[in-house]
Amino acid sequence: MITVEHIQIAAFLGAGLCVGIGAVTTGIGSGIIAGEGAYGIVKQPKANDQLFRTMLIGQAAAQTAGIFALVISMLLIYGRSDAPEGGWYKAAAYLAAGLAMGLGSIGPSLGAGYAGGQACKSIARMPKHGNAIMGNMLIGQALSQTSAIFALVVAFLLMYSIPNQPEGITVGRILVKSVGLIGAGLSIGLGTLGPGTGIGFVAGKANDSMGRFPNQKSNIMRTMFLGAAVSESTAIYSLVISFLLIFAL
Amino acid sequence: MELTLAHGIVKAAALLGAGLCMGMGALGPGVGEGFVAGKACEGIARSPENASLITRTMLVGQAVSESTGIYSLVIALLLIFSS
Repeated sequence: MITVEHIQIAAFLGAGLCVGIGAVTTGIGSGIIAGEGAYGIVKQPKANDQLFRTMLIGQAAAQTAGIFALVISMLLIYGRSDAPEGGWYKAAAYLAAGLAMGLGSIGPSLGAGYAGGQACKSIARMPKHGNAIMGNMLIGQALSQTSAIFALVVAFLLMYSIPNQPEGITVGRILVKSVGLIGAGLSIGLGTLGPGTGIGFVAGKANDSMGRFPNQKSNIMRTMFLGAAVSESTAIYSLVISFLLIFAL
Repeated sequence: MELTLAHGIVKAAALLGAGLCMGMGALGPGVGEGFVAGKACEGIARSPENASLITRTMLVGQAVSESTGIYSLVIALLLIFSS
């Protein structure tokens, strides 16, 4: 028989995994930006202010997914996980929400970090076009964070839209539903890893190119949008599979 | 419908497999397509006169790279609905 403790164990484990895994690449991404920013100041001391500003804004954007993970983790710790009528459904859903957001913030943070780093490098090369490069950096980082938002949506759905476990159903049915929910978390969590990193690479290369050939701005941005949209498609497949696993069973 | 425990375990394993399949299957195409598009940005910046050629090559390359993602999607859907 399930008790309150079982559900709380799942919620706390999910909270720990969420912010623990999520913090890994958030730190790495911010570090890449700080490193490139510092190296840029060495090469171009006159662009000190501009580089410092770009570094801070880029780091803030790269931290977004980490903050999502923190929010989910807080909600899991202080949310209402002490209701025993939720049953195994709720326990599985809390663990799955933590996994979804924790794994889901790995790729986007790494991607946004690479994009920000290349922007700093690019501004150090061509401080005159700093504003255009920073604008492109923010668009690229936003594109790479979209998959983190998919993970956030799935985590919220897992936390708040799963019904309590009905009375008098077989163990087999409980098992199917609970494991299906964990599968939904893993699907979107791992599925955002590739697109997040890939779009970050696109945005980084676009920033780098914009510093080298500033007159090609519109061509570079068009290719960046097209490439990022195609790269996003696998994250959307993962989102579809997650929705099916949550709602179609 | 009532599920026996044995059927429940089979179905549960299939659903976990579907989640893992789509999750890990999306990893490769995502990174790969991003790499293609990143290099295409670089190439178009370097030689803008070949922009249409580079865009065409990028899209064909991404379509091929996407195929494993679609395989994962098909397998995940099969695991959800046919087990």
